[in-house]
Amino acid sequence: MQRNERNLIMSDAVSRLRRLTALILKGFLLLATALSLVAVLLIIAYITRDAFPFFKLRGLGELFKSTAWFPSGHPPEFGALAIIFGSGLVTLGAIVVAVPLGIAAAIALSDILPYRLRQTVKPVIEILAAIPSVAYGFFALVIFAPLLQNRGGSLLALASWIIALPLGLLLIFAVTEIATRSIREDMVKPARLILAAVLTAILCRSLLALSAMLSAVKISSGTNALNVSIILGIMALPTIVSVAEDSLQAAGRELREGSYALGATRAETLFKVVIPAAGSGIIAAIILGVMRAVGETMVVWMASGNAAQIPSPWFNFLSPVRTLTATIAGDMGEADQVTGSSRYHVLFALALCLLLTSFVANLISEWILRRQQRRLGGLK
Amino acid sequence: MNLGSRKLFDRSLTGISVMAVFLMALSLLVLLGPIFSRGLGAFIFRATSEHRRMILEQFGRGDEEDVAAEMQAVARARRPLYGMLKKFEDELKNMEYGKRLGYRAQLKEVKNLLHDLLGPLPGEPETVMLRQEYGQTRWDRAQAKLGQILFSEQWDYSDKSSMGKKMLLPRRQFFAGTQLEPLFPYLKNNLVQMLRPHLVFYWRFLTDTSLDSHLFGGIWPEVLGTFYLTLGAILLAIPFGIIAAIYLSEFASAGRLVSMLRVCISTLAGVPSIVFGLFGLAFFINTLHLSSSKSVLAGSATLALLILPTIIRSAEEALKAVPHTYKEAALSLGASQMRMVLTVLLPAALPGILTGIIISMGRAAGETAPIIFTAAVSVGQPLKIWETLSQPTPALPWNIYNLATEHQAVDEIRHVQFGMVLTLVLLVLLLNLAAILIRARISKKMRG
Repeated sequence: MQRNERNLIMSDAVSRLRRLTALILKGFLLLATALSLVAVLLIIAYITRDAFPFFKLRGLGELFKSTAWFPSGHPPEFGALAIIFGSGLVTLGAIVVAVPLGIAAAIALSDILPYRLRQTVKPVIEILAAIPSVAYGFFALVIFAPLLQNRGGSLLALASWIIALPLGLLLIFAVTEIATRSIREDMVKPARLILAAVLTAILCRSLLALSAMLSAVKISSGTNALNVSIILGIMALPTIVSVAEDSLQAAGRELREGSYALGATRAETLFKVVIPAAGSGIIAAIILGVMRAVGETMVVWMASGNAAQIPSPWFNFLSPVRTLTATIAGDMGEADQVTGSSRYHVLFALALCLLLTSFVANLISEWILRRQQRRLGGLK
Repeated sequence: MNLGSRKLFDRSLTGISVMAVFLMALSLLVLLGPIFSRGLGAFIFRATSEHRRMILEQFGRGDEEDVAAEMQAVARARRPLYGMLKKFEDELKNMEYGKRLGYRAQLKEVKNLLHDLLGPLPGEPETVMLRQEYGQTRWDRAQAKLGQILFSEQWDYSDKSSMGKKMLLPRRQFFAGTQLEPLFPYLKNNLVQMLRPHLVFYWRFLTDTSLDSHLFGGIWPEVLGTFYLTLGAILLAIPFGIIAAIYLSEFASAGRLVSMLRVCISTLAGVPSIVFGLFGLAFFINTLHLSSSKSVLAGSATLALLILPTIIRSAEEALKAVPHTYKEAALSLGASQMRMVLTVLLPAALPGILTGIIISMGRAAGETAPIIFTAAVSVGQPLKIWETLSQPTPALPWNIYNLATEHQAVDEIRHVQFGMVLTLVLLVLLLNLAAILIRARISKKMRG
């Protein structure tokens, strides 16, 4: 039937020619599209090819077990454990900074702020995402590091107040709520007041003690894991906020309206309905944001201190660290002249670790986002 | 929970999330504030007579007679100072040996500093390096130097429990009772006459080439290098990006191949930028031999791969946003699918595609890691367009790193570093602003 219709418009010969050209063009388009596939394959192939000689020569053990990183020593040592640890540490720091902030901001953008304000906040996120990483690194090195070094203690104290006070008050509120649940009706109010007052006093007292302790902290070098973690956290924010907001939006109006209709408040709707529905998308957002922090080069190269050591104790964010990306960037300059040496190939081995991490993380987040799309699509 | 506490809980969630947004905006302000305020210092500053002399002699700008007259006036103000130096040197000759030795070392330091501040002292041999031909060209740097002359820095290690403490000792005390003592107050009181600072707007900072590794001049080689790299990357990425987007949005049927292609695009977007750099080195330079070593071409190719996913995604979104009625109208008029795409779909989606391109331009301009091994050098001259095929270039992002960490006089050229960061950030922000404006126009048009 289709064929008949086509015959009404044009002759068979023309149609065949047209179909052929269309097919050729389509093939050509596919070929150009396949460039991404080719690029990914080439990247894997070439990084692996240049990483392989290192593993053949030195084996797998040294790279992941030893912390002695002396690629230019005699004999050279290629223990990258401290470097991998450094990458992990600053990533952990970035997660601590970016995840709560990012998710809270995403919630604000999707459900809380009025439309007009949302439209003004979005460019802020875009600008944060657009600022080149070297500008972040420069800020970290030239402005933030001296500030940390000279006024680090008081900054930490201030930060502890800003973070702990609202959260502490919320906690106190929850505790009084739970503790007074089974008290007689007419006693509830005074009991709550007293309990809240006592707990607030304790909170303030302990915060004072904490901030006094933090003010006394001397930071010997401003280029350390803390500095980098904060900056990386800010850099990861835009990704987390925009992906998480998208998936919160994707949960849809119907879900929210259903929950409101049952008498839930906005917070209850968010926590009991929207976030469970959008949860996997939020996890994907976190993964993508974290990968931005893991793969970031310039900030860590400029401001992490570049010391290949595991801090003691391991969570000491005030000590300098060194990361995978910074090692590749910093060591290649010297290794470049000796192409073919293990010094050159070890950097490809490190790059392979990075690449594999990013692949796995990407595939997981891709899978999560797609599954969520399907599920929410089915809901509607 | 009773109603009151439920409400309170709701409000505290609102408070916390609004605070998060506020903190985000605040961090943007804290980041951009110093970059803008100190970056402007590279363009607008109080220039000394040395600056005008340098501009005249090195760039051939300015009025020769004016500068000569000014140099004479400046020399008049400096004459007593040099006189004091001379007198002290004579005095030194008649001193006993031990005393003389102590003074001589200090005198040498003072003379070096004076040289840095005012330019060559009378009777000094011809200099080789450009930096020794001129004194401080900026008044803020001149004042910092003045501080170094008036006070010598000493470190006090008497307290063993902590790190050394910095102490500032007035040099005048050291030279008390000698002919050199009046030099310090004279210098302090007459520095304005010796250097004659005037506020200038040095917009040529963008277009002047750099002299003596950025101690003088502007950032033209970096600006041009960034321009080449960005242009090259975008030119290489646009055709592939748009074709891929057309294929994915119009021709691809949902199948295994297409979903694999999509996975590849998002994987490519997630590859760390430093890995792109290594790949560029291993593939474009060491395997394909696009150039014998680093070159703008190799760097552009690497950057093109980096921005490809962004272009594909945004172009695909723009193509998908074109109303179905457009396509159907074109097809019903007998246009082939290809013709419909070229004459209807692409023009309608063009603004959206353009936004994606502009945003990826900003990304390409600001990326550092991919060009470290493929295109960037620290020092270089502005390239001619054909040299980009084989020559490496300085570029803004790389030189920001390089000047901030590896330059021999990091502290003396802070203004250049901030100027570069400001230029780069402004470039990226303007590109993004353009994208935002285009997008606003599109959404207005779509709404009708």
